[in-house]
Amino acid sequence: MKLSSTFDYAPMEHEAERASNSYLMSLIAVMGGLPLPIVNLIATVIFFLGNRKGSYFVRWHCTQALLSQISLLVINSVSFWWTISVFFQDGDISNQYISYMITVLLFNLVELIATIYTAIEIRKGKHISWWFYGDLTDMICRK
Amino acid sequence: MGKLISQFAILVASFFVLWNLFGRVDWMKILHVEQATQTIEEKLGEKYWEIFKSQEVEIVDKSLDATMDKLLNKLCEANKIDRKEIKVHIVDNDEVNAFALPDGHLVVYAGLIRDSQNEAELCGVLAHELAHLELGHLMKKLVKEVGLTVLISMTSGNHNPEMIRQAFKALTSSAFDRDLEREADIKAVDYLVNSDINPEGLANFLYRMASAEKGIPDQLFWLSTHPGGEERSKDILAYVETKEWQEEFVLTEDEWESFQIEIAAY
Repeated sequence: MKLSSTFDYAPMEHEAERASNSYLMSLIAVMGGLPLPIVNLIATVIFFLGNRKGSYFVRWHCTQALLSQISLLVINSVSFWWTISVFFQDGDISNQYISYMITVLLFNLVELIATIYTAIEIRKGKHISWWFYGDLTDMICRK
Repeated sequence: MGKLISQFAILVASFFVLWNLFGRVDWMKILHVEQATQTIEEKLGEKYWEIFKSQEVEIVDKSLDATMDKLLNKLCEANKIDRKEIKVHIVDNDEVNAFALPDGHLVVYAGLIRDSQNEAELCGVLAHELAHLELGHLMKKLVKEVGLTVLISMTSGNHNPEMIRQAFKALTSSAFDRDLEREADIKAVDYLVNSDINPEGLANFLYRMASAEKGIPDQLFWLSTHPGGEERSKDILAYVETKEWQEEFVLTEDEWESFQIEIAAY
């Protein structure tokens, strides 16, 4: 993650609020106690679609939030179905399973901290571009 | 674009490297996973057997127990199963039924022993139930049908009668998945072959049960909890053909006859 102040223009107050909300959407879904990983993604997609006609700053951050959720969806879905197979099908609890869950937990934790930090900073009008996701967003999001 | 691809590769690689590094730690030991599972199973076994004992009459007969031990010892020794972990109970009931309960309780109804035409058939059923125990099928079935929360609350002193009744029913009167049955059949054949006991006995018993099913359905509980008898019987015979085995009787003819006479008295 890198802190960047070189966004094309200084965002207005309402833009900063909307962009910050895009990160908070996924957090709200988690705090609401929704266990399925797809729920986070759906919440972010809904927000993304709702803001697709928004300003460049808002769209840019909605896209970055969405992209980070997509990669988490992949690893979280594997952990969800692996857990289902362990408890309801023929799977067994193994070192491999536990270490996968710990790795996923760590990635989620990093993403959670980064999301909270980003939401706070963006609300202040600063621009935060994540490592990899920021460059990917630059490529996808058009001015 | 090249930078993006290399960043993506680093991200993916870091996930797998971390997973691999964590995988080197013996979490099962650190988190006492096996002991915790074992404790839950032991407590459930106690609870189940307590309920079962209050509903049925266990036959306590030294001679019958000795014969049953002889058959089980043979199966356990040949397959490196800890015999002390298996608690066999003969129950005074006419139903043709046998099932395993958590923590190694193996319940055999007198009706099933009477219905077995030879020691190979009885050993076939015993081997099949042993396979369910050894393959951990019981806990899987319980978790699936009753739920992990209910099981844990049962072991921690929750005595909700309805909950316990449902949990008991799930284990004694409902079927395992076909896949688990097939797995237990195959394992049972391996056990029987290793013990020099005719593995066709299990197939014959299943086939006979399936043929008689229409006549006296209420008595054939073992078949209702172990479905697909005819098809499974054929599968077992096909698997047996791939095995080499020689038959050695565990009991003499006289011992088997006395066993049948003794059990008929109940």
